Amino acid sequence: MNANADREQMMESVALYALGVLPREEAALVAAFIANDDEARREYLDLRAAADSLAHTAEEPVDSVRSARMKERLMARVRSDAAAGSVARRRIGPAYPAWLWGTGLAAAAAIVFSVVTVAQDINVRGDLAAAQRRAALLQGQLAQNDRNARQDRRTLTDLLAPDAKRYDVAAGTVIVRRDRIYFAFSKLPPLPKGRVYQAWVAPKGSKSVAPSVTFTPNADGVAVVALPVDATRVGAVAVSVEPEGGSKAPTTTPTFVRPLT
Amino acid sequence: MDPGVRLMERVLARDASAFEALYDGYHRLVFGIGLRMLGDPSMAEDLTQNVFLKIWTAPDAFRGGSFVAWVSRVARNRALDTLRSKAVHPESEIPADLPLEGALDDDVFSRLDAQRVRDALAQLPPEQRGLIEMGFFGGATHQELARRTDTPLGTVKTRIRSGLKRMRESLGERVSR
Repeated sequence: MNANADREQMMESVALYALGVLPREEAALVAAFIANDDEARREYLDLRAAADSLAHTAEEPVDSVRSARMKERLMARVRSDAAAGSVARRRIGPAYPAWLWGTGLAAAAAIVFSVVTVAQDINVRGDLAAAQRRAALLQGQLAQNDRNARQDRRTLTDLLAPDAKRYDVAAGTVIVRRDRIYFAFSKLPPLPKGRVYQAWVAPKGSKSVAPSVTFTPNADGVAVVALPVDATRVGAVAVSVEPEGGSKAPTTTPTFVRPLT
Repeated sequence: MDPGVRLMERVLARDASAFEALYDGYHRLVFGIGLRMLGDPSMAEDLTQNVFLKIWTAPDAFRGGSFVAWVSRVARNRALDTLRSKAVHPESEIPADLPLEGALDDDVFSRLDAQRVRDALAQLPPEQRGLIEMGFFGGATHQELARRTDTPLGTVKTRIRSGLKRMRESLGERVSR
């Protein structure tokens, strides 16, 4: 298949992404493509607007009893809050929960779209203890699914946000939005066996770099990487090829070094 | 300007009457999305409650743009959460959540009405229209759409892209970024 056909397929996937019918793993790949391609980004915005308009057709009459019941429940809560003088909790600084940048993400070797399988069959035959263990496991999986979904939502939003800063680098783009930094690579060269890519960050005003996450792209050279750092404190980022497990300092010439100015 | 945007500014200031007006104006939309995606009025009711409760408790999640488009996406994502939690379908068959920001900043968008969008949809060939509606409201991936309609995956992709482009052209300047 030639490059034009590949590109056309990706543009079709952009439409699927705009409509919201891509599974998570594919959505990540397409988001990386869109982040790196101006034409794809324009088409995405156009088609997303068309897809969003579909919502207008969803409005349904709600029977008066149901409508009143929902409203009464909500307004009871609202009045209670208002009476208690609660104040909207405006977020200051990072708008996202700490766990997003916690060890889970940092240690996860950086490709943020992990696959979590949802068990489909809850087999509760057998003894009660086994069923309870199974239920606890499923609860954990569902909670993890929920966290993954929120994380994906945030990452995809940041990658495509018009107000994100974008820095072209070899094989991709560095994207900075608010206090968050992402790498969106679409054409990383394959790695030799036993090697990984490793990210490096240099604090503002410093010439030395600190090690960050390691990651491996997929077979197409695509990787979406969230750096577990506060972007407002970073002066430059870099990537190099390192042994598995990462290094404390770069041992090869970096693939790129990009000041974030 | 989208009236929802003005109301959200007041909700942010903890104005209960603005929240009530927001509910009156938009609960049918949220309920409708829930009903079409989940197929059950009780679940659509729960979804509506959850979405509006989120609006009240975290109004700063709305960062401007078209309120209609934003709340629709919140509702759709919440419905996808419900589908996931039901664990009826494997995760791989449930699409990724939609980003909530970007491409929504357009007050013209909010002047679109259901009839105009239905007209634009009606102009599409049935095979494009069906896939687009099923995709948006069905909570299914493109592979699942291909299976349900017994259509080759490549054809599904092409039809969705062509259909969205035609819709975009039909709606013209009324839908913009």
